[in-house]
Amino acid sequence: MDERIESLVKKTVSGKMYVYPVKTEYDRCDLFLPPIKMSAKRVCEYIRNQEPLIVAESCFTGLIKFDGSVEGDVFNRSGHVNFGIACNNFYNKPVDNLLTFEWQHSAGDFAKIINGGIVSIKDEINKSIEKHKNDAEATQFLETQSDICDALIDWACKCSEKALSFSKTVSNEKYKKNLEKLSRALKNVPKKSANSFYEAILSLYVCYGLIPDSIGLIDRYLYPFYKKDVEKGILTKEDASEYLQELFLMLQARIHISSDRFYRGGESHFCVGGYLENGEDGFNELSKLIVDSLMELPTWIPQISLRWTPKTPHEVLHYMMDCERKDPNKRIAFVNDVPRINGLMKYTGFSHEKAVHYTMIGCNEIAMPGGIVFGFDPMNIVRCVQNTFFNRSDDIVKAKTFNEFYNIFQEEMFNDLCEADKIGKGFQTIRERDCNLVSSIFIDGCIESAKSVTQGGTNTYIAVGLLIGISNVIDSLSVTKQLVFDEKRITMEQLIDALRNNWNGFEDLREYILKEGLFFGNDDDFSNGVANRFFKSLDNWNTGDNYLKKPLVFGNLVGYNEHHKFFGDNTKATPDGRFDGDMINFGIGQSKGKDRNGLTALLSSVAKCDPYSILTGPSVTNVLLDEQLVKKDENFEKLVYLFEAYFKMGGTHFQLTYVSKEDLINAKKTPDKYKNLRVRVSGFSDYFVFLNEGLQDEIIQRTTHAR
Amino acid sequence: MNTAIIFDIQRNSFVDGPGIRTTVFFKGCNLKCKWCHNPESQSSKPQIMFYKDKCTGCGRCKDLTEKDAEFVCFNDAKKICGKVQTVENVFDIIRKDKIFYETSNGGVTFSGGECMLQIDFLRELLKKCKEINIHTAVDTAGSVSWEYFAKILPYTDLFLYDIKTFNNDVHKKFTDASNELILNNLKKLFEHEATVSIRIPIIPTVNDTVEEMRKIKEFLAPYKPINIELLPYHKMGEHKYMALGMNITSFNIPSKEKMEELNGIFQHK
Repeated sequence: MDERIESLVKKTVSGKMYVYPVKTEYDRCDLFLPPIKMSAKRVCEYIRNQEPLIVAESCFTGLIKFDGSVEGDVFNRSGHVNFGIACNNFYNKPVDNLLTFEWQHSAGDFAKIINGGIVSIKDEINKSIEKHKNDAEATQFLETQSDICDALIDWACKCSEKALSFSKTVSNEKYKKNLEKLSRALKNVPKKSANSFYEAILSLYVCYGLIPDSIGLIDRYLYPFYKKDVEKGILTKEDASEYLQELFLMLQARIHISSDRFYRGGESHFCVGGYLENGEDGFNELSKLIVDSLMELPTWIPQISLRWTPKTPHEVLHYMMDCERKDPNKRIAFVNDVPRINGLMKYTGFSHEKAVHYTMIGCNEIAMPGGIVFGFDPMNIVRCVQNTFFNRSDDIVKAKTFNEFYNIFQEEMFNDLCEADKIGKGFQTIRERDCNLVSSIFIDGCIESAKSVTQGGTNTYIAVGLLIGISNVIDSLSVTKQLVFDEKRITMEQLIDALRNNWNGFEDLREYILKEGLFFGNDDDFSNGVANRFFKSLDNWNTGDNYLKKPLVFGNLVGYNEHHKFFGDNTKATPDGRFDGDMINFGIGQSKGKDRNGLTALLSSVAKCDPYSILTGPSVTNVLLDEQLVKKDENFEKLVYLFEAYFKMGGTHFQLTYVSKEDLINAKKTPDKYKNLRVRVSGFSDYFVFLNEGLQDEIIQRTTHAR
Repeated sequence: MNTAIIFDIQRNSFVDGPGIRTTVFFKGCNLKCKWCHNPESQSSKPQIMFYKDKCTGCGRCKDLTEKDAEFVCFNDAKKICGKVQTVENVFDIIRKDKIFYETSNGGVTFSGGECMLQIDFLRELLKKCKEINIHTAVDTAGSVSWEYFAKILPYTDLFLYDIKTFNNDVHKKFTDASNELILNNLKKLFEHEATVSIRIPIIPTVNDTVEEMRKIKEFLAPYKPINIELLPYHKMGEHKYMALGMNITSFNIPSKEKMEELNGIFQHK
């Protein structure tokens, strides 16, 4: 690693590169203005009042952080008053044990800024003002956007001046030149189109603070600059790597070192590879350089997903899995383009040309560049099983066939989905009370429609539903079919009785279920069939008749929170052998050794369960592997083939943790001895000992695959 | 209907041949190797295995016999080892992982016990696998009549062939069988241009000498096995002897240095 970057790394991991917001005294007379004008004026004052962070080693500067005194970016939502109210009331506090409030992710269209500059956005604004000239409200919104563009240009000028004055205090000639170059470049970008790879990254660096979520598909939109500069002989691979590393260090440094999020990989997530518009695989020389550059850094943020396609060379998957295996900070995950692009086209209505530009974001969500994710509130899908057995017991005892039983379950499931939609709409109503001004210029459609991203301005949203406990539902249905209808081992009355008594007096039955229940993840036709039926029902319900007016793509992760635990706490016993209060499962996979037939069977079940591609939202498949399994390179190679086959079969996602179960149990008991044990959690990675108990227990309960 | 007694089917095996494999373990063996790590494979009949340390004394198994193949102990303390399976049953499980075999150049491995003792079943299964282009491997100790080999040769892509020791007296003493037939069959396999991978278990005091390895190397010199793999003795099967109530002969585990020395013999020309 270059000496300059090494020095920046030291400063970053010790928290010295954190950009502290500068407190701004606003002109009190702005209270005379209409609210939106006042808000915009304050945002502009705030931006102009910030101080760029520049150190001797800097090649880049310009990150802005909002302090909550104005309505800031759409990701952190600091200063968004109503969002704060929703958080206080509903974040980790589900309504009726059914739906809980979550954050929303969005990805700025950075390629647009890099290629056209802010001036091109201003052109769009002017055109839109002309179009909306008779609409006072629209015009007012557009004027705020124009003002914010101007403030951003002024901010870049301020950064430029500071870089120049700071350069005069620096004695190291190389560093001095870097700062002079930075000062010159800031006169061009982000105002105008970037002229080089360096300027392209700088433009991104300056704008990122206004929508600080995913940097998106940098191996695509930076590649033309990289290629051109390398061909012209003005950029070496080493220089490019340094610039990328400084960009990545900014993403790390953006989080304050005192926050546990400093060590969590979910704060900034982007992709390499994936289908291009022309149908080819997009993993290129820059993709590899990006991964190599990140792997050299001993940091935790950002994280990368490889977007695999059937055209991804085996060597690329091998290379990425090898990087992942050797990465102590576990920053890499893997997603499959085939089901995801199918899902985005089928449910979200995007064309193939548009869908190929999706990126992974946050823990493991998806967004389009210039787009936002709506919905996304986690739902307890196990509640409908509880309702079926506890509220509809009179009906289900009359069911003569599994079909009749299933139809009753399906009614309950549809009721809960509709109920969740109503609650979700309530959450969205609160979110919409805030008008976001800062991020709208980076989201497609807002300028054209003259509306904020939080108030329906975007035309590039993905509607997402999060279902926690999918495998509990499939297992409960499968076990009911097996024991009551097929084997006739017990009657429906007995099963209801067992659940009502929380298995007391039915211990043998529960043990039998745990040992012989036909659970999801074993690749048998029985549970695979039940899983297919469940997803078919979901597909039938998913017509777009919801508050987002668009069919959803579903996911199953829990992010940083233990939704699976607090939903489980209030969910009664279920036929899969779960006790009242036991946590429910997240992700799509299996746990507690219920997957008895090994990894090929588990992965086959996961890959085959959803032929509709409906589970192509924030969906995760966690696989826990015994570290011994991959110590030998020969075995590791087989593991790469194993996951390649899983993707060929249609699996959407996987992420790996290599650890023995004993280590996890010991780490929970004696955390001091396991401070460095890093695990994949729910689309992000973290130190095991930092996790809350619910997440620790979930990881311990994952089945370890030792062969 | 053609049936066989099988004691395990492992999907996703990384260790029984090339690529990702499904390994089918046949019950019954005509050798009685003292170091055998699958003692439950030796008898050709179903057996009760009992892991005393896991038993809670619940009594559910008090009338259990070897015939109760479907019995389930809730604590994994007792199980019936060995189940009669049809060709169709086993084939259905094998073909589930076809895409994994194709992607990794893997396939199915028939192991044991001595899978060739149930030759008609094995032949039929091999034939079915070849009909849908699944790579097939047979893991054998080779102590069966050549006719058996002749029956499966057209359907077997790879033989995983064990050589225990070149010294026939030692062989008889530790395995209850002569090695003459084994070595003759191996020669014939090479003559028939079968693909063979040699596996030699390294058992201290039995065959862990340079001299022994040189003899094996000399024997193999005219032929072209695709691989010669030395497998160090391990004690991971000991708890199974206890579960079956069988006597254990314990050996030392060969040292890393010893394994390097012996491996070195095959690496030098």
